[in-house]
Amino acid sequence: MKKLNNNLKPPFSLKTIFFIFLFFIVFLISAQRVGIPDIVDRLYEASLDLIGVKNTSKISEGLSRISKEMWPPVVESKKDINLILNFDATNLPLFSYVKVYKDKLYEINPDTLLLEEIEEEEIEFLVEPFGYLKLVFIKILESIEIAFWASFISIVLSIPLAYYSAKNYSPNSLIYFIARSIVSGLRAIPELISVLFMVLAFGFGPAAGIMALGLHSAGFLGKFFAEDIENADTGPQDALIALGASKWRVLKLSVLPQVMPQYVAYLLYILDRNLRMATVIGLVGGGGIGQELKGRFDLFEYGHVTTIIIAIFLVVFIFDQLSAKLRSKLIGD
Amino acid sequence: MPNILLSVKNAKKTYKGGVTALAGVNLEIHNNEIIAILGSSGAGKSTLIKSILGLVKLDTGKIFFKNNALLGKNFSRLRSSISTIYQNFNLVSRSSVLSNILHGKVSKVSSWRILFNIWPKADQYKAVSLLEEVGLKGMNYDKRVENLSGGQQQRIGIARALIVSPEIILADEPVSSLDPETAKEILKLLKDTAKKNKISILCSLHQVEFAKLFADRVVGMSNGKIIFDKSSKKLLKSDLNKIYK
Repeated sequence: MKKLNNNLKPPFSLKTIFFIFLFFIVFLISAQRVGIPDIVDRLYEASLDLIGVKNTSKISEGLSRISKEMWPPVVESKKDINLILNFDATNLPLFSYVKVYKDKLYEINPDTLLLEEIEEEEIEFLVEPFGYLKLVFIKILESIEIAFWASFISIVLSIPLAYYSAKNYSPNSLIYFIARSIVSGLRAIPELISVLFMVLAFGFGPAAGIMALGLHSAGFLGKFFAEDIENADTGPQDALIALGASKWRVLKLSVLPQVMPQYVAYLLYILDRNLRMATVIGLVGGGGIGQELKGRFDLFEYGHVTTIIIAIFLVVFIFDQLSAKLRSKLIGD
Repeated sequence: MPNILLSVKNAKKTYKGGVTALAGVNLEIHNNEIIAILGSSGAGKSTLIKSILGLVKLDTGKIFFKNNALLGKNFSRLRSSISTIYQNFNLVSRSSVLSNILHGKVSKVSSWRILFNIWPKADQYKAVSLLEEVGLKGMNYDKRVENLSGGQQQRIGIARALIVSPEIILADEPVSSLDPETAKEILKLLKDTAKKNKISILCSLHQVEFAKLFADRVVGMSNGKIIFDKSSKKLLKSDLNKIYK
């Protein structure tokens, strides 16, 4: 029998085995550093607790404590009527009523240094049955607006960025390099970091959030758009160039129709991402529902937190459904 | 003898990898004449056509259109009399039939019309009438090109080439991605419209029998050189043997 071609390489060389071994070592060291064994331990404990073998688990203790406090979600709002300016008991807002709550007052006894109850006082609260829901709605609307404006800014910024960072359309290599650097720079800074700087520039509130999200997603869109322009079929472009069309005419008539489906998909993704991020950046002062969430979390008002989380979930879910419909409508079959 | 419409003088082109595509090509195309270029792959047919279109820059040699060199300002002025038909149709597949035909007028309309996709009424009427001329009468011109067959797409390509009322059409293997029956139909259409509108055609082809049927003159190329240039009626088997070794 004829000998097989001995130039054939073995599927695994010694080098490959060495690198797999090296990777395994690094993997183990890293796991130790970030506390993977601890995660495994706790999950193991929790699973034993779940099946009733053991009844102490840090995970279930932590989660069960908070989950008791998180339910039920809060929908009503209560406000001390003494804190309401020009309160008019005869002209209450729709569906709201005044309720009396009893509160105990304590004072430190200077002799014993213990808290002692001195009196029980009655405080009148204005209760709006759906007051908190209304507030959450207003705040989440602000988040949606932040997401919308951030996406709008990112589209406006990304169009010139994409044009100049597409190799086949950029006028020269210097402009190409500058545009690519801007695109990478914008993408490199996470929104949660850039919003801290934007808060310094624009103050607390939606403006800082809009700018932070808008700049970051402009980096994304600029990169995606530019790569699509570069990869578009050159045949139709050549045909238009041969007909004497200028660069931007070729871009408008030949490249844009080709890349439009991807553009729509990117835009919807960016809008979806900005919507989720808009709820987060509020945690560091970027306005919207995040600011409310952070405030309630810090006050241990977990019932309110639940309401907010449900609201965020609903908005993201509804947007998901809408964007799927919008996508098929805009892109077609 | 009719006037010379386009002439290629001593065209030479060597690509970066060292492949010589054109090694001193001289060619004259007369008014209302149909020329087929035959040759195997890599003979230099496409490079010749692309150099006339300005898509490939010649190392040496010049191209003249009606005795004017196709260079600089002349180039953009004269190019409007030259149309092209491509092997892969080069249509914008997601755009409509009508838009693709109107693309022929891309350099003739103002920028805002391009921006908002609003074409002059006269051009739109012409585009619709061209649909009839290329045998697509009654076709829904709002249909996307991607939903059409290869033959239909090439007919749209021909309509796009005709909308500028060209004096010459350059066709780079216009039927090689079509089945033989459709290819014949397309070439017949091209020939009939060319004769009717007094247009010259320079067309590269793979199939010898198509060249005989379609062209007035056949030019054989091999290794970037013209091997023979004669009337299609006088084409001999020995000629073909020289280019298809």
